Amino acid sequence: VKVGDKLIEFDHDGFMLDPSLWDDEVALAIARDEGIDEMTEEHWKIVNFIRNYWKENDLAPAVRLICKDVGVGVRQIYKLFTSGPARGACRVAGLPKPDGCV
Amino acid sequence: MERIIYLDNAATSFPKPDIVHDTVREFYSTKGVNPGRTGCDLAIAAEEMIYGTRRAFSEFFNRSLVDSGRVKDPNRLVFTMNATMGLNLIINGTVRPGDHVITTMVEHNSVIRPVNHKVREGAEATFVVPDSEGYVDPEDIRNAIKKNTVLVIVNHGSNVTGVVQDLKAIGKVCRQEGVQFAVDSAQTAGVLSIDMAECNISFLSFTGHKGLFGPTGTGGICVADDAEITGTIYGGTGVRSAVPYHLEEYPYRLEAGTLNLAGIAGLSAGLQWVKSKGVENIHAHEMELLKMLQEGLSEIPGVKIWGTKNLKNRVATLSVTVANYDAQDVGTILDVEYGILTRTGLHCAPLIHEHHGSVPRGTVRFSAGPFNTKEHIEAAIGAIAEIAADRPVEVSETVKS
Repeated sequence: VKVGDKLIEFDHDGFMLDPSLWDDEVALAIARDEGIDEMTEEHWKIVNFIRNYWKENDLAPAVRLICKDVGVGVRQIYKLFTSGPARGACRVAGLPKPDGCV
Repeated sequence: MERIIYLDNAATSFPKPDIVHDTVREFYSTKGVNPGRTGCDLAIAAEEMIYGTRRAFSEFFNRSLVDSGRVKDPNRLVFTMNATMGLNLIINGTVRPGDHVITTMVEHNSVIRPVNHKVREGAEATFVVPDSEGYVDPEDIRNAIKKNTVLVIVNHGSNVTGVVQDLKAIGKVCRQEGVQFAVDSAQTAGVLSIDMAECNISFLSFTGHKGLFGPTGTGGICVADDAEITGTIYGGTGVRSAVPYHLEEYPYRLEAGTLNLAGIAGLSAGLQWVKSKGVENIHAHEMELLKMLQEGLSEIPGVKIWGTKNLKNRVATLSVTVANYDAQDVGTILDVEYGILTRTGLHCAPLIHEHHGSVPRGTVRFSAGPFNTKEHIEAAIGAIAEIAADRPVEVSETVKS
């Protein structure tokens, strides 16, 4: 997918193959693909928290941690990112696909 | 710690009884030395605990032999680090290139993957398809047996839907056809009575940390006295060190290296606890909770129960999905919003999910244990009702249309 002057590649689940290419412009493009019309301040708080946590720990944060740190309820996260924190929010944050038992 | 409702006992039982914690601490702090028959007093005490645990489990899994005054060789109870390791030892020690092994689509990856590796090495495998509820017809196993079939290996209780296979009938087929019979009892040891002699089981692989309430890292195989298996791990045995090859005699044939002493002490205490409560009583309590959960969830619009609703031949495991939700998301909301711990996804058992049609995203699995209460189940039903109500079926159907 061409975003600005960058060519961004995704895996078959829609996660970035090279997370180092992520920036706000890429985040907006993924968000549009997630069906998010407008990235609000609350969206960005969640995305930035996930992104920073991943950079420090090399894994996606637990949802409970996102709620606590950002001060948002889990149901609100699902309203902001309808495909959920593990897919929608992590995708927009440019993370590779998190491991899970699927 | 926030209040949690633990409904993930199929993954590991939690909490463990106090006697398990106390025994591990006491034994390991006073006798935590390398066991051995030729060592010091402490080593002998450790060895006695190990041998006593072998004997206790040999009897636990062979009640009919004990009751009839016959002897089951305790040394054919070997310890492993979990059921998976036991199943690997069984499959690797019985199936060779050119051999045929029969298993089922109900299996966990602890059987599927080792069997697939044997196929890659030149063996053949048949995965018997269960009925629509997940039960395997023993005659389908008979029909799959060929001249080169050396092993039938079957999951006793499904970790996805809780269906329990008829070991007695399958064992009868195996005995009639002269094929060794192995059982994965990860979900049933300590939860259902298992009598190897009655069911003609050659190898029973069990894990210690689920229904037997031992620590993680414990488990074993009970090998029938007439079963044949080759050892596939080699190393120290603590005896006859000058022999250049691994010892053939039991328990060494299937054990190498220092045993998990603290874990086995805890496992021994777990078994004592199970026996003191009574396997039948524990199962009855869990099934009462399952019935309540299944009936409660069945009434919620949008909730689908996967597999069987049969309450006979079952352990207290229930797989569901909620309309308009990915299973993982339901699990996340249950955890974060309600403090209810479940397990979502494919549960390392992809073939049974494929069989039921719950691929690729899997289900939300509830699994009750002896420490769960009716209040826990009421809370789980209430939570699922609220989650389902957030994305009602009718709205979705209207949008789609």
